[in-house]
Amino acid sequence: MAQELVFFKYIDDPNQHKIDTYIEHGGYQAIQKVLKDFKPPDVIAKVKESGVRGRGGAGFPAGLKWSFVPQNTGKPIYLACNGDESEPGTCKDRVIMENDPHMLIEGIMICCYAINAHHAFIYIRGEFAFPAARVEGAVNEAYAKGYLGKNIFNSGFDLDVVVHTGGGAYICGEETALLSSLEGSRGNSRIRPPFPAVSGLYKCPTVINNVETLSSLPSIFNNGIEWYRSHGTEKSPGTKIFSLSGNVNKPGNYEVDLGTPLSYVINELGGGMQDGHKLKAIIPGGSSTPLLMPDQIDTPLDYESMAAAGSMLGSGAIIVIDERCCMVWALMKLINFYAHESCGRCTPCREGTAWLKQLINRIENGEGQQGDIELILDACDNIIGRTICPLGDAAVMPTRSFIKHFRDEFEYHIEHKTCKVKTDYPFV
Amino acid sequence: MSDNGKEKEQITLTIDGQSVTVDKGTTVLEAAGQIGIHIPTFCWHPKLDSIGACRMCLVAVEKFPKPAVACATEVMPDMIVKTNTDDIVKARRGVLEFLLLNHPLDCPTCDKGGECDLQDNVFHFGIDKSRQTFTRHRVIDEDTHTTFDDKRIGPEVIRNMNRCVTCYKCVRFNKEIAGEYDLGAYERGNHTVIDAPPGEQIDNFYSGNVVEICPVGALTNTDWRYKVRNWVAKKADSVCSHDADGQNITLWYDQRQLWRTTSRRNDAVDEGWLCNIARYGYQYINSPDRLKQPLIKKEGKQVPASWDEAIDLIARRFKEIKEKKGSVCLAGLLGGNQSVETAYLFNKFFRNKLKTNNLDYRLEYIDLKGSDENESYNCLYRAQFKIADLEKADVVLVFASNFIKDHPSVNLRLRKAYRKFGTQVYTVNPVETKSADISIDEMVYAPDMETAFVAGMIHAIIDNKLYKNIDAAKASEIKSKLTPESLAEAARMCGIEENRFVALAKKLAEAKYPFILAGDYLMASTKRHRTANGLYNIANLLGIPDTNAAILASQANSLGADRVGVRPNLSPNLTKTLEEKWGEAVPESAGSNTSQIFKNILDEEIDAVFVLGANPAMRYPDGPFVNSALDKLDFLVVADLFETATSLKADVVLPLAGWSEQSGAFVNLEGRYQRFDKALPSGPGIKTGIDIINAIADAMELPLGLNTAELTKEAKDIVDGFVRIPRDVNKFFEVRQAQIPEHQEYPYRLMIGNDLHHFGYVTEHCPSLMRFTPEPYLEISPNLAERLGIENDTLVRVESTTGKLVLKAKLSEHFEGEVLFIPNNFAATEVNSLISREGGGWVKIEKLDDK
Amino acid sequence: MILKESTIKEIKTRMVRYPSRRSAILPALTAAYRQVGHLNNAVYKEISRVIEIPYVEIAEAATFYTMFPKHEVGKYLIQVCHNISCSLRGADNMLLYLQEKLGIKMGETTPDNLFTLISVECLGGCSAAPMMQINQDYYEDLTREKIDNILADLRAKADEEGK
Ligand SMILES: Cc1cc2nc3c(=O)[nH]c(=O)nc-3n(C[C@H](O)[C@H](O)[C@H](O)COP(=O)(O)O)c2cc1C
Ligand code: SF4
Ligand code: FES
Repeated sequence: MAQELVFFKYIDDPNQHKIDTYIEHGGYQAIQKVLKDFKPPDVIAKVKESGVRGRGGAGFPAGLKWSFVPQNTGKPIYLACNGDESEPGTCKDRVIMENDPHMLIEGIMICCYAINAHHAFIYIRGEFAFPAARVEGAVNEAYAKGYLGKNIFNSGFDLDVVVHTGGGAYICGEETALLSSLEGSRGNSRIRPPFPAVSGLYKCPTVINNVETLSSLPSIFNNGIEWYRSHGTEKSPGTKIFSLSGNVNKPGNYEVDLGTPLSYVINELGGGMQDGHKLKAIIPGGSSTPLLMPDQIDTPLDYESMAAAGSMLGSGAIIVIDERCCMVWALMKLINFYAHESCGRCTPCREGTAWLKQLINRIENGEGQQGDIELILDACDNIIGRTICPLGDAAVMPTRSFIKHFRDEFEYHIEHKTCKVKTDYPFV
Repeated sequence: MSDNGKEKEQITLTIDGQSVTVDKGTTVLEAAGQIGIHIPTFCWHPKLDSIGACRMCLVAVEKFPKPAVACATEVMPDMIVKTNTDDIVKARRGVLEFLLLNHPLDCPTCDKGGECDLQDNVFHFGIDKSRQTFTRHRVIDEDTHTTFDDKRIGPEVIRNMNRCVTCYKCVRFNKEIAGEYDLGAYERGNHTVIDAPPGEQIDNFYSGNVVEICPVGALTNTDWRYKVRNWVAKKADSVCSHDADGQNITLWYDQRQLWRTTSRRNDAVDEGWLCNIARYGYQYINSPDRLKQPLIKKEGKQVPASWDEAIDLIARRFKEIKEKKGSVCLAGLLGGNQSVETAYLFNKFFRNKLKTNNLDYRLEYIDLKGSDENESYNCLYRAQFKIADLEKADVVLVFASNFIKDHPSVNLRLRKAYRKFGTQVYTVNPVETKSADISIDEMVYAPDMETAFVAGMIHAIIDNKLYKNIDAAKASEIKSKLTPESLAEAARMCGIEENRFVALAKKLAEAKYPFILAGDYLMASTKRHRTANGLYNIANLLGIPDTNAAILASQANSLGADRVGVRPNLSPNLTKTLEEKWGEAVPESAGSNTSQIFKNILDEEIDAVFVLGANPAMRYPDGPFVNSALDKLDFLVVADLFETATSLKADVVLPLAGWSEQSGAFVNLEGRYQRFDKALPSGPGIKTGIDIINAIADAMELPLGLNTAELTKEAKDIVDGFVRIPRDVNKFFEVRQAQIPEHQEYPYRLMIGNDLHHFGYVTEHCPSLMRFTPEPYLEISPNLAERLGIENDTLVRVESTTGKLVLKAKLSEHFEGEVLFIPNNFAATEVNSLISREGGGWVKIEKLDDK
Repeated sequence: MILKESTIKEIKTRMVRYPSRRSAILPALTAAYRQVGHLNNAVYKEISRVIEIPYVEIAEAATFYTMFPKHEVGKYLIQVCHNISCSLRGADNMLLYLQEKLGIKMGETTPDNLFTLISVECLGGCSAAPMMQINQDYYEDLTREKIDNILADLRAKADEEGK
């Protein structure tokens, strides 16, 4: 299956991050066309038509989200670009920010014009010092060329873009927490309503979009809706970057049409299982998504099929787990993460994830007690759907899924006080 | 401008099968409450913005994908809510189990036991067995097995982190309501801790509230901690006995003593928030230093005596003086925090029985020459200002008042107006104050220039034609009666740029519902009347509503005493009322106000004074004057709770009961009549002011003939019957800045007044308040301090024409100018000895080397 | 003063890009961390003065974010990802190897104050696992050999600067 790359078209060009190279490659054409030929509402209409969906995890249609922004409230409107990228397994936005930052900036310009925002913030996780530097460099280049600032391309449209780096908190990827963090507060998530589109950053209407989502806009306006929809499926149009990690021979970021079978990514692009080991399970959309089992390896990578298969496309982080892995150990790795990252605002997430961590760790450490599994599942029931933001759910979904598919390993652990499969991945 | 008053849209919904109609914007939680359906909560508070954090209030809403938090979900038309489905009950039990995971369950020794939301909810949802089999500690982490325990995070606040349910109420109150930044939440997730800022303390003026709103025992105060179980303690409805805001409180006590104060929320007054003085200021009642028996001076020494002896002596001497020298030689001074009943009886005793008009309750500075009935001053002083009206304000000018200190509740209401309704605040003071953060412009006028400032404002108003309902001719006439003669001159004298006068004038002129509120700096000023004239003019020129231009009373019952006539001159209306009640005329003889009384003593025209619950020797802002007078006095009777500078000069000292030891009423600065109940009765040797007055009257065979019920009724009738002469919108006064005495050698202006955590002369007997401010100090601006090489705790000699004092320096967090402040709440330092009419409070200071 | 003029200048230039001074808290913490190498109360106090935001707000925010060490660390802070993707490719054994190489345990600092070793959550290098971050820089697709070289280079670099 031949892939027409959108994001990775010029990714290997070492100068692609430079504005001149980007322009040589046809950059900043889309925004000029948009500014010249479109009124903001038309841009929103086009984006709706394209059917592009959020790449940050939820898969919410971008155009629809933009249309929720109330105009003429007298308040300024903001765009927050989400480059927090902290969901274990996910490392796709980083590639865009490092290698093709202007594509992101152009996407931001299109979005801001559409929603009437004159101030955009790019929230990049603090650890991404290099990507952030690249994006900031690109922003400065754009200002120098007059592509940002006042009266862009003599269209009368003004836009300021600010690069904001985080301080090490996964939760700040959650949209409301991101806003709290951007406002200088602790990165606590907030209750909705009010939704950010109505009352977000500094209590003003705010759109939050993922880096990849915004970066896909220029190609849509350069090549047109038909072209875009010619990729992917009816409900999940376009291409998407998948971060392939874990026990495959060629881990990496791969761009494919949505709807491409998972097996293609793992076996063709990923070069198959690491050293021929046997596939045990797949986390298909980032650490918070339920497992897919080997027999589901042909599931098409699109929002609907993934849901049908009992999981989620999520952020597109495919984590491949082979036979050498003890699933209790693997879940421990995940739950320790969620307990560590809970913001502490609401009770079920704050206390619940910490308790799950205790329970799962004690099973892994051979101190598990009869009934621990039931206890874990019941605690999950008291967390999921009870929290302010979905971080609680994110911790529960893999927990349930791991136990559902590998209950025997958990029971074995409790019985024999040790792993069924002793995990010991070598470091050479 | 707030939408208060406007008709709110109504919304009907169904909760647990019952239909209810409420205002748009109401939360499901509040709606449920209106029909008696209780939804459990931890993080919700009626006066704080909801954050939906604890998840205890989850309810099921039809068509909602998952449970919603009742505390933050606004009602919607035809919403169908269920508060007790199995799913919801499970969710709540889940929340409780989570909260209990690491809760120490030390309820038997926890002060919150019996009034703890966690305890009550667990009891209600019947979580009997714990599934938690790990060792309990707040932080669940292999490497930090910490239980944060018993940490004192402020003078009064102790934190037990392991009991915290992380509802953030404390932190939210502190920032949202009080605008204070000495409490925070640190770390994250399950490690989250509540604490004062690293290396600092939570000691703000409202800090007691965090203890009260903590739903569990995570925050307690030393005041109450480990003393009594709340369910054995008795409760009495009461009112704060100190400042004039009249914060509503509940007193907790047993047969031994008073134990604590909690708020008794009154949305018209305090909205359930108490300042630390209202909260801890009851403790003087418990003091071991209370006077317990009468004293009589024999050969210059005060020796114990029986009540009969004491009363007989007083009666005899009063009689003698009255008969030999005449009634005019008797005078009475009443403290501003005696009950309305006491005040009324005091008035009746002096006027109707002793036949003199020499009585007063105002122990601040009163004009010596002009009578105390300064028209503009009294009109503004008696304005019927309402605290809650501030929520409708668009512009508020706070003038000559350290607002947080003078008026804790009004200050919080102003902050609320600012935060919720965008009210624009301006402050004008002799020093920078804590209101700076909500002020559009904080102006500081040069010492003693308050009159110049108001004159300047009038110039600004007239020069810019901002005045309403007068013509240009009238305007220029008003302008011609001003000193300084021009805005430029006023600006120069005040040290405030002209454009700032103009900006403020414009804002006030444009405002729909503006306020001008003045406070203690004005009251204590020798220029109070001249300045009041100016304020009166401004209010008229700008058409500020009559109730909105006010000089706010300063003590718990100042206005009560004023209403019932504890002052030399009475309004015709009050005279009439009293004469009807007493069946005879009030004395014609001109009466003397506080200052005149002291002067008359010096002129040997007054021989005997009865001081009830007041301490002028320490508090009157002209020490040399008042003390020479009191020393000269022939016969001085002082009734008080403690030995004071004044009582030490007395010929007879009578132990007086405190406010909580009797029932009565105070009239707060709004004119609101508020009753307080009797809590623990006073000790045997102690009498109430009412009993004392009656005893003396009886012994003089001048019975006042009012039983308790009659007294209460008469006093209340008079308060209710009060009619105020409204501000005359066509009247304008001349406004003349007074000359400031020469003071070359004395370069700095000394202000005296209440420390933030003290009030009057009794709070020295409140251990909790002493923990905030244990001793007097000289507050000085950092820049001035630096210039003089002064640091915190450096010993400094403060000297004026009339006296000197040595004090520790305290670098101010607010002051910037060349102004000094010393609290007059500590008996040991006679601050008023530095201040005199002639000297005008100017001093010099000198650093003493030995630290 | 702990913060250098240049740091304060950076904080101020960033501050003005936001509609609210408060938003400068994270940029300020980041700038301070990069200069000082860790954060502490004294730093919070200075930041509070520079951006005119209450001290408590700075401390509250700073302690929420785990990327900034709150006490002194070695010249090079080695942060090894121990999350799932890296673990599946030997991160646990890599940690053992690092401890052995540096002769310290997790969370410890080498006697010469050069290296501090800690493990952290996912750093977004999942497709190039195992990986680690040393101060600002990422090191990916690690092998024993690579680690040997990286540590050697850093030691050499430190000596250079030492001279
Ligand atoms: C716990 C949590 C973490 C998240 N982390 C990220 C993230 O790192 N990057 C991201 O783009 N979206 C993240 N999201 C999703 C965002 O909340 C938001 O939905 C998304 O950024 C919207 O952009 P999109 O519509 O373009 O996907 C996270 C959500 C949750 C609940
Ligand atoms: S200390 Fe009390 S009020 Fe503060 S967060 Fe904890 S439980 Fe809530
Ligand atoms: S009371 Fe509603 S979430 Fe706490």
